[in-house]
Amino acid sequence: MKLLLGLALAAILLVIGYFTFFTSPVLALDEKGCLQCHNKPDIKKTTQQGQVISLFVNEKELDASAHRFIDCDQCHSKPHDTPAVPTKITSAEKCGACHQYERKLHRESIHGQSLIRGEEGAANCVDCHSNALTPHSVVRVLSPESPAYRRNIADTCDRCHGNEKLMTSYGILEKTYESYMRSYHGKVQTLAKDDLRKLNMATCTNCHGVHDIKKAKDPTSKVGSLANLKEACAQCHAGADENFARSFIGHEEASLKSNPAIYYIERGFLLLTASVVAGGLIVTTLAFVHYTWRRPKK
Amino acid sequence: MATRTVSITSVMVESKVEEIVRFTIHQRIQHILMIVSFTMLAFTGLPQKFNTWGVSEWWVNFLGGIEMVRNLHRFFAVVLLADAVYHIVYIFGGMAIRKQPLPLSMIPSLKDFQGMYQEIRYFVGLSREEPQYDRFNWREKFDYWAVFWGTPILGISGLILMFPVQVTRFLPGTAVPMAMIAHSDEAFLAVAWIFGSHLFFTHLSPGVFPLNKSIFTGRIPVTRLQEEHPLEWKRIQAALAVAQPEAVAVAVEAVPENITVPENIAVEAELPGNPDALPKTPNNPPNEIA
Repeated sequence: MKLLLGLALAAILLVIGYFTFFTSPVLALDEKGCLQCHNKPDIKKTTQQGQVISLFVNEKELDASAHRFIDCDQCHSKPHDTPAVPTKITSAEKCGACHQYERKLHRESIHGQSLIRGEEGAANCVDCHSNALTPHSVVRVLSPESPAYRRNIADTCDRCHGNEKLMTSYGILEKTYESYMRSYHGKVQTLAKDDLRKLNMATCTNCHGVHDIKKAKDPTSKVGSLANLKEACAQCHAGADENFARSFIGHEEASLKSNPAIYYIERGFLLLTASVVAGGLIVTTLAFVHYTWRRPKK
Repeated sequence: MATRTVSITSVMVESKVEEIVRFTIHQRIQHILMIVSFTMLAFTGLPQKFNTWGVSEWWVNFLGGIEMVRNLHRFFAVVLLADAVYHIVYIFGGMAIRKQPLPLSMIPSLKDFQGMYQEIRYFVGLSREEPQYDRFNWREKFDYWAVFWGTPILGISGLILMFPVQVTRFLPGTAVPMAMIAHSDEAFLAVAWIFGSHLFFTHLSPGVFPLNKSIFTGRIPVTRLQEEHPLEWKRIQAALAVAQPEAVAVAVEAVPENITVPENIAVEAELPGNPDALPKTPNNPPNEIA
């Protein structure tokens, strides 16, 4: 009996050990064997314009990406006969060969329109869908490590929208990330990071749209007019009217010029709080010092 | 026990009056409700204010998630608002039904500023004279009035934040961001004052450390009253001196260690200072001797 038990235990350990140590990871398909050369980090070429570009494909990232079972020549149709280095818009077009609906929306969005104008600062597909900014590392939106996962969206937008220099060149002066994090929507994002029940709390894309993001001042934008903004609010706040939409005072910090009422309320409460807290601290400290060192012995 | 006839003054000389009732049962219940609701509101509100701090996230998860925290916050907000209503009804209902005097001793006056000035001079060492306080000192009055102004601010702004869609049907939209600023700042002020100053002076100062039980038992030892509220003590002494000595003696008889002046004793005295701090009618002595 003891022997049998011992054998059973050994068998269980063997099975567990096998699955722990001898399982192989999921590998990218790579039917044509491209990775045999392209997985070397130092592989590069000089273009006709004399530009040195890396041809390295990170195999590890590819193995984990959503595209791991798509063969390389699906996108790289003539791999060794590519005329020009892809730009942001041409690589977006490549994605659009399959993702046609998203391509259509993106082309009409402010990001797509800027790319078409040749502005390389605007976002294309991989800017939001890949952590390494390459199609080889795109992961599914529902995967928590994806930059387009709901919880990561604000940080992903902030990659560019927190870049003050880039944003100033487009005339966007608002500190969007900070103002979002001050709002209840942002607060929930930070306080319920691992709470799946709160995954549906509003983030950037809920009001601004996803692939079809327009300029906030564009009247066709989801936040372009009070009527549109009301619709955006009413997605979650049932019964919201235009007056409710007015309660959003913009991502801009309230100033004397932009919003005097809020500015004065803010300053007034700051003054009140600071003076009461400071007064309390001073009296308490004086009393503490007095009671500790100066109190006459009885 | 043999029947003795003692005058009230002699009772005090023998220091048998050990404690004075400082807070009525309603005031004590109100303060306990306030402690519970305020503490829970602070513990559920602060992580929402300082949401970017790592400890806030940990604490919210510990309490059961953000939705639980918000529900707790709302529940205890209702408790606090009910407490505020209780207090108002107690003050004005007491005036109407029980013919209590309006507690004028809580009204701030020039004396409070003098007391504050004198106390700071005393703490710093510029003066050797401790300020002489009556029923409430300036800090106690500030505690009270800070709650008095803070509760409506926090209550109204909290309700706006709780029902933004309904409220903006009849209020301008900017009421919501204004309410958020007001709620956040006023709450911080309250928490900072209570934890920074109120708790220090009520529990940590010499004579009361480590715990001042007055607000829970309603009683204050005469020795401490003498030290902290000397003017009030003098007026109580004056009132007791003219009280009917026989009646007190009966009480002494009944409870030798713990002297109680029953409610049917008429205490009538011409007293200087705040008239409401001492009983005018036989039915409602705010300061009974215990």
